[in-house]
Amino acid sequence: MSFKNFILGLIATFGLPWLLLIVVPFAKMRNIEPVFFDETKDGLTGVYTPERAGRIANGSEVYGANGCYVCHSQVIRPTYAGSEIWRDDWAGQKKDADDKDTRRISNVWDYNGEPIAHIGLTRVGPDLSNAGYRLEKKAAQFGMTAEEYVYTRLLTPRSFVGNHWSTCPSQPQLFSKPDAYAQEKAYIVKSDEGEKGKEKSYVPGKSAKALASYLLSLKKDDPIPDSMNYRRVKTAAN
Amino acid sequence: MSNQLSNNLDSSLRTSIDRSVSNPVMFFFTSGAAWLAVAVLLGILTSVKSHWPSFLEGCGALNTGRAYIAHLNVLIYGWAFQAAFGTIVWLMARLCRKPSEKSGVILMAGHLWNLGVSIGIIGILLGKGTGVPWMEFPVATWVIFLICYVLIAVWSFIQFRVREGGHVYVSQWYLLSAIFLFPWIYGTANIFIFVFDGHPVMTSAIAAWYKSAVVLLFFIPIAIASAYYIAPKVTGRPVYSYNLAIFGFWSLMAVGPWAGMQKLMGAPLPPLLGYLGAGAAILFFIPAITVGLNILMTVRSNGERAKQSPSLRFTAAGIIALVTMGIFGIFLNLPSVLQGVQFSMSGYGYEMLALYGVFTMCMFGAIYFIVPRITMREWLSIRFIKMHFNLSVYGIIAIVIGSILGGYLQGNAQQAWDEPWMNAATSTYAWNVFNSFAWFFILISNLFFCLHLLLMWMRLGRRSNHPTLLIEKHGDSPHGLEGKIQTT
Repeated sequence: MSFKNFILGLIATFGLPWLLLIVVPFAKMRNIEPVFFDETKDGLTGVYTPERAGRIANGSEVYGANGCYVCHSQVIRPTYAGSEIWRDDWAGQKKDADDKDTRRISNVWDYNGEPIAHIGLTRVGPDLSNAGYRLEKKAAQFGMTAEEYVYTRLLTPRSFVGNHWSTCPSQPQLFSKPDAYAQEKAYIVKSDEGEKGKEKSYVPGKSAKALASYLLSLKKDDPIPDSMNYRRVKTAAN
Repeated sequence: MSNQLSNNLDSSLRTSIDRSVSNPVMFFFTSGAAWLAVAVLLGILTSVKSHWPSFLEGCGALNTGRAYIAHLNVLIYGWAFQAAFGTIVWLMARLCRKPSEKSGVILMAGHLWNLGVSIGIIGILLGKGTGVPWMEFPVATWVIFLICYVLIAVWSFIQFRVREGGHVYVSQWYLLSAIFLFPWIYGTANIFIFVFDGHPVMTSAIAAWYKSAVVLLFFIPIAIASAYYIAPKVTGRPVYSYNLAIFGFWSLMAVGPWAGMQKLMGAPLPPLLGYLGAGAAILFFIPAITVGLNILMTVRSNGERAKQSPSLRFTAAGIIALVTMGIFGIFLNLPSVLQGVQFSMSGYGYEMLALYGVFTMCMFGAIYFIVPRITMREWLSIRFIKMHFNLSVYGIIAIVIGSILGGYLQGNAQQAWDEPWMNAATSTYAWNVFNSFAWFFILISNLFFCLHLLLMWMRLGRRSNHPTLLIEKHGDSPHGLEGKIQTT
């Protein structure tokens, strides 16, 4: 085999998958056609636009820089690929305020505004696709505001009842000691050695605020058009 | 008489080649070994933190996430690439029978590469990581790495083009393909992720593909190239089958580029991409077993040598790991198993099997072969080499078993959706403790290796023409009694 044919062979064996796995899907994924609601089936009209509010781009960077994706995933797979959609509070709310089951798989719009979709490497911790709801629920349970709960949780992950087994790392680098004259609210956080009753106050830094806003924005269970819903629930309409 | 003359010419050519590349190659091996030590320390740290989360908790720069990222990136860019560069430069020069004329440029680019790794690791620990798996170094560094890569590797490619004809060795196919494909893979990944503005899920898919491609089309080929050189060279027998070698090479090139995106199975991507990835990751067993069989049969043809030669012993262990990797690839990517293990620690186990079990073990083999030739000294201690080998093998077997089996059980616990999440989260505890001990073995083994390499770097090796073989005492060498001292 001549050198030229050898290189041509490499270009052929590598170039084809390169085009089919990278270039074409990349171009296609940049121009995803919008999906419309159907009035009779969904009771809604117009184009489906995902609802998500929070500091998504900033928060996503902090999430990535601190390696959260090493232990947390953000994807609800269809049932052919995994079973997590059936967990009570991962894929949505089993029973929301209107007594509806909002659980659904992740879709392409769920990651809008993030530099990279943090699909995640492992699930040492739970999936965070709908962490916003869980954090709010927990905050209410402990009588805190949602942000306050997230900050405390980031700084002392094992301080809450029912979390003693967590291996989530503390993130002291996102917080600072309060300045005596600070305008900002200091959050009183119990240190990890709770039994000694030590309490310390911390001020969340810029990154902590972005991250908390991002985590609370993780509510990926908005209603989707019937045409892309793989979990259609029988209703009077159909 | 003419035979004697050509032997002398041959030997002086080899010496001049070894001398021409000795500085850059020794630089890559020693600085790579230093980064390996850092990577192993960070590996212990992440492993310990995964079962003892309050260990060093006050230090934010070393929290589990950042330390894990730093651990993998140092292992890949600090150690693996530099070991690969050393091997590429030396092996290609020897196989093309051409002294290197660009050692200065290579050495300079090597220093720049190390600067890039240092900037990258500091960036990660200070929280400037990009969040893209295996490409976490702060964004601008990828340009430095690509330029350095070209300045280091392009000369080996040119050497092949200007060599004076003659036989093309199997190792050269692998070296050429790795040198040629890596910039394509690395450039694609970085440009599509950091330069073009793509869809976030596609970005994630390309990152998953990069991880797989850089292992299957760069690290594994370099490991195989080294094995295809060392096995026939040390045993003194030809490669077992030329046809198997051709088949193994082209099947790897055909299968390798398709794998990777199975890690995003079920994410909002065209499902075909995930299935193609899983299919290719399963089919990887074909080249793995073909190459494994070919090299191990070559080793077996002179089994006595395999026992004595440290290079061949490490290489054979690496090739056995390659076969194991092929078998685990089938098991881990079957759709029914993949559901569970997709987000479990078995992915880490498989990566470690590839990066440490196959690649690093083959590189140790290459280093034990190359360093005495370029320093003109022999390795000092049989015992150090034995300790390095045994502890490395124990360590990597334990990590692979701990992570892959532990990950399989963890995945099953995750799939049991009607059980509380705590069951899945705590199921890995025992395996993580086990892995910490395994990393500790690897640390000790590499202390022996680093110390030994450092002594060689300081030119304190034995001045002897008897290679250091794994026999009872130095005096038992099959080359007879020692005595003749090299004067060069």
